[in-house]
Amino acid sequence: MNRVCLILAMYLPTASSPADEIISFNRHIRPILAENCFACHGFDPKHREAGLRLDTFAGATDDRDGVRAVMPGDLEKSELWARIQSDDPDLLMPPPSSHKPALSPAQRALIKKWIEQGAKYETHWAFVPPVRPPVKHDGPAAIDYFITQKLGEAGLAMSPEAAPEQLLRRVSLDLIGLPPTPDEADEFLKAYRQDADAAYRAAVERLLAGPHYGERWGRWWLDQARYADSNGYSIDAPRQIWKYRDWVIGALNADMPFDRFTVEQLAGDLLPGAEESQKIATGFHRNTQINQEGGIDKEQFRIDSVFDRVATTGTVWLGLTIGCAQCHDHKFDPIEQKEYYRLFAFLNNQDEPTLKVFDPGVDVSGLTSEFKKLEAEIAAYMKDHAEELAQWESGLTPEIKKSLSSTIVKALAVPVKKRSFAQQRTLFAGGIGGVGEFRQLNDRYAELDVVLNQGVSTMVLRELPTPRKTTVYIKGDFTRPGEEVGPGTPAVLHPLERPTGRPTRLDLAKWLVSPRNPLTARVLMNRVWQQYFGRGIVETENDYGMQGTAPSHPELLDWLAVEFMSKRWSLKEMHRLIVTSRTYRQSSSTRPELRAKDPNNYLLARQQRLRLDAEVVRDVALAASGLLSTKVGGPPVYPPIPDGVMGQGQVKRVWAVSQGADRYRRGLYTFVYRASPPPSLTVFDAPEGFNTCTRRIRSNTPLQALTLMNDAGYFEFAGALEKLIRKDGLAAAFRRCTTRTPTLDELAVLERLDTLTAARVLLNLDETITRE
Amino acid sequence: MIPMNSEITLRDVTRRHFFSRCSLGIGSIALSSLLAKEGRAVAAAPTHRRNPLEPKAGHFPAKAKNVIFLFMAGGPSQLDLFEHKPKLTELNGRPIPESYTAGKRFAFMDSSHRSNLLATRRTFKQHGKSGAWVSDLLPYTAGIVDLISIVTTCKTELFNHAPAKLYMNTGSGQFGRPSMGSWITYGLGSECDDLPGFVVLQSGPRGPRGGAVLWGSGVLPTTYQGVPLRNQGDPIVNLSTPQAIDPARQRQLVDAVRELNLKRLQVTGDDEISTRINAYEMAYRMQTSAPELMDTSDESQATLDLYGIKNPRESSFARNCLLARRLVERGVRFVQLYDTNWDHHGGPTENLKKHLPEKCRDIDQPCAALVRDLKQRGLLDDTIVVWGGEFGRTPMGEVRESTGRNHHIDAFTMWFAGGGFKAGQVYGKTDEFGFGAVENPVHVHDVHATILRQLGIDHERLSVRSQGLDFRLTGVDPAKVVKDLLT
Repeated sequence: MNRVCLILAMYLPTASSPADEIISFNRHIRPILAENCFACHGFDPKHREAGLRLDTFAGATDDRDGVRAVMPGDLEKSELWARIQSDDPDLLMPPPSSHKPALSPAQRALIKKWIEQGAKYETHWAFVPPVRPPVKHDGPAAIDYFITQKLGEAGLAMSPEAAPEQLLRRVSLDLIGLPPTPDEADEFLKAYRQDADAAYRAAVERLLAGPHYGERWGRWWLDQARYADSNGYSIDAPRQIWKYRDWVIGALNADMPFDRFTVEQLAGDLLPGAEESQKIATGFHRNTQINQEGGIDKEQFRIDSVFDRVATTGTVWLGLTIGCAQCHDHKFDPIEQKEYYRLFAFLNNQDEPTLKVFDPGVDVSGLTSEFKKLEAEIAAYMKDHAEELAQWESGLTPEIKKSLSSTIVKALAVPVKKRSFAQQRTLFAGGIGGVGEFRQLNDRYAELDVVLNQGVSTMVLRELPTPRKTTVYIKGDFTRPGEEVGPGTPAVLHPLERPTGRPTRLDLAKWLVSPRNPLTARVLMNRVWQQYFGRGIVETENDYGMQGTAPSHPELLDWLAVEFMSKRWSLKEMHRLIVTSRTYRQSSSTRPELRAKDPNNYLLARQQRLRLDAEVVRDVALAASGLLSTKVGGPPVYPPIPDGVMGQGQVKRVWAVSQGADRYRRGLYTFVYRASPPPSLTVFDAPEGFNTCTRRIRSNTPLQALTLMNDAGYFEFAGALEKLIRKDGLAAAFRRCTTRTPTLDELAVLERLDTLTAARVLLNLDETITRE
Repeated sequence: MIPMNSEITLRDVTRRHFFSRCSLGIGSIALSSLLAKEGRAVAAAPTHRRNPLEPKAGHFPAKAKNVIFLFMAGGPSQLDLFEHKPKLTELNGRPIPESYTAGKRFAFMDSSHRSNLLATRRTFKQHGKSGAWVSDLLPYTAGIVDLISIVTTCKTELFNHAPAKLYMNTGSGQFGRPSMGSWITYGLGSECDDLPGFVVLQSGPRGPRGGAVLWGSGVLPTTYQGVPLRNQGDPIVNLSTPQAIDPARQRQLVDAVRELNLKRLQVTGDDEISTRINAYEMAYRMQTSAPELMDTSDESQATLDLYGIKNPRESSFARNCLLARRLVERGVRFVQLYDTNWDHHGGPTENLKKHLPEKCRDIDQPCAALVRDLKQRGLLDDTIVVWGGEFGRTPMGEVRESTGRNHHIDAFTMWFAGGGFKAGQVYGKTDEFGFGAVENPVHVHDVHATILRQLGIDHERLSVRSQGLDFRLTGVDPAKVVKDLLT
């Protein structure tokens, strides 16, 4: 079964009577041609067979010695038609050597009708800017309108609203990644009985306004930003870039408009009078790996990271597989290799420094001058008292030396004239200057040294004064430079606007969020939708090109995209819209009718049960057991991990387990080494930050069971939950995990167990780690 | 049949729905009997394959079922082990003719890389009926040359460790691609229902460069990623029941979780719950079967002696070879052994004179024993054994504290045994210095294609769609099945 059949299967129930149906190129024909023909008869001239291209009307209808692949309106004169149903393996298309099966009767029927109807081509839907569909409805009702319409065509209706407990748990997990507390649930249920709608809306507002919203959706963005805390490759040294992570959380909590969110991350350093936070934001493209292996050619890996930046930009904002054009013209989409390197040219002119970041209250310039003054005073003091030090030193017996610290002993071993400033300070502090004036100067100096030089740093981008030369690389090989190119954007999309001179990253960023861009708003809204329903309206959420799937609800996607832009790119507005729709609020349980007509829930006659994301699996267990630390932001933490897992890579890394509340921080704060990521997260499909991740796979494996049953962390959580069982009873503990009250049957199962086993059972339930 | 061109999306779930109606596996049988015991049926009968590792047929009849890949991490020196090059000795210290190296790039170009030829210290002899050359460092391997195919013309693309390891494992230097073991378990499932289908064992002073990504599943579900079996502590992370819990209480836990999950399944009708029920059953079985696997006390002294295992409790490459045999005996599809520190540049802890012989002593006897042991137990016909590293080493010397050899990608040696690979041949021919192939080059992608072919998989048809492309292990450029290597 190939994917085209699946797409057709999806449309067939809703198609009107086939006899008089108008065939749409984008909807019906392009998927067939893209899957079966474009690889050899598409955009890429180097791999084009027989010089024939079928991706344009001109190409398909070109007169080739009296033969045309497609003769509009005339089936008999259309060679394409003859070839797709030939019995002769030498003539049949797609050829048997391509391993593609012959077209199905349904596909052939569509092509037949399309040719008969005049073989009209349309611009690929994703390259046409979205227009607000003419609907009477507004707000969440518009969403429901589009969904209900499709359901109606299939003879289906929406499911009833989910039970209130389930609804509250769902929206809490979706908006903040935490389950409701028992108190929140009680309050909600009370209010819900009085006015369900008002209660629900109030809950949504509370969640959107709270500090945890930025954590939940921040992690969504960090997946796309390929964030992790180490350099990757073989050495995989730790790095400091968590200020960028905190910037993302803060920006989302403040509902920074997505266009500004984009500009600051891609080019914050180029904004006039760039502030520190805008520089921190450029960490987005510093989340590439750094190879520190011996014997490498550094330029090779710098270029690799630029390749990654181009591909990531293309995927995250445009939903296009631009990276495919690194080595050759794109095989399916209208992107030339040269255009790829034009985009590359935007991202090739940076050096990659770290930025010292100070707490807001720190007077950096004042302290720096004080530091310099102290340094001079200390130097003067040491010069004046050099003789005293020498005397002290000559009086040191081996006995005394034994009692001195190793740093002092080391400094003593250095000849007097070769001692560094730091070594001299050490000797003065440990020898004659342990009290009085020197001590005062030195202590303050050491204090400022910590504040100014050993504080937090974060990785950022900085534009070079003179741009690097960018060329096409033949076959993507950096040792084979070709034609030189300047910065520019692909011709198939809207033009780049720039005042004068050479365009910069800032122009690129603005171009990405231009209202004329047909892709960004759609791509982002689709990715938001995917979080809520487990699948995007465009299922191939990272490919809007010819090989991507057509949207299941094209009008809804366009409506959301236009709405997003008109609401000043506010993500919170869009979350509010979606989660208050009836579509979202439906029950997720299936019913026999749906199993028969739409088993995969493309049409959304119900919500979808979704296994929680890796970090949230942990967060729910922490919250249920009452251990969760709700602190937002700060350096990554080291919760307990199983013995021996840090030895998977070349360099065995230390994992100094965090103490106190930091043991119980939310999953997104756990330190991630790319080469030896924390097993309890990766086992639930957390990405390791090697490249952009726009959708997590949801696997369902025995290793997940072993983690929840036996991991020392989860066992500890179970211990805490057991205490709550003893205090508040089994039903209360069940509610902490699932928000609902257990049935008598369910309670009976738990009552047969000792309390610790009952607590472990609760943390292992499918329902506990699922958002229903 | 292997799913083709599937988008790994929810459509993968879709696919499971489509394909599974005809193949109800062990898992679903177990579930229906559970339901029968409960005396009720689910609201709507679940239809999808509940065990993603259920065995599947390939594209062709398979010649082999399992793979054991003995990975010498760091790049073993073929010129001191398998490649007998008298010319190298004759011209020791002279520069290699420029025609060989023009336009080539090497690691450490800006520091220790040199272009003078380096003679081997080893003595070479021909062995067996095949007359294969093997140096004095591998006496046991010399004893099995008539059971293996030695390929001297292997070729790869990348000359730094982590990228090259990635290439040997995933067919690409880019991150995010599935490893060979993942591809194979994805394509064929596993015949073992109480151990993972793809298992990784490690020896040597540290983990391999690149780490977990080498056995990662990339764009495939994590179900198919390699599971490291550890020699210390729990063999699998979190395998042991917490200390305070006795087996009876653990069983109670599993039973109660199943019972409550079944109730939820009846309410929601979500097939994922039945998959989870099966996952818990398998996890529980693993808790017994993995320790049984690791406990080698049922092996005879003769077997331990064959592998050269002195202390069966101590972690070593030799013990890992024995475990590899025990794993394929149990139906585990893909076993990969990493032995680290084969990077003999000439540094203080990595020279050809002292350290290469030490490494060879660690692995020579066990590798040969594994092949012999599999053969005597009738498992060699079904099992492909692969020996090799991510690349080889240069004919030119590298100068650090002492001399060594640099990374080399144009020609290096691997060997293959069992699973329909010819026994007793040396394949490929390199030039007088062993720099490049003059006959029959075998690219890494060809190695992959050939291994897949023996398992019954067409490497061009085992693909998965991501980002609009059909990814496959052997990449986009044509790769070939090396028929000459096969019986």
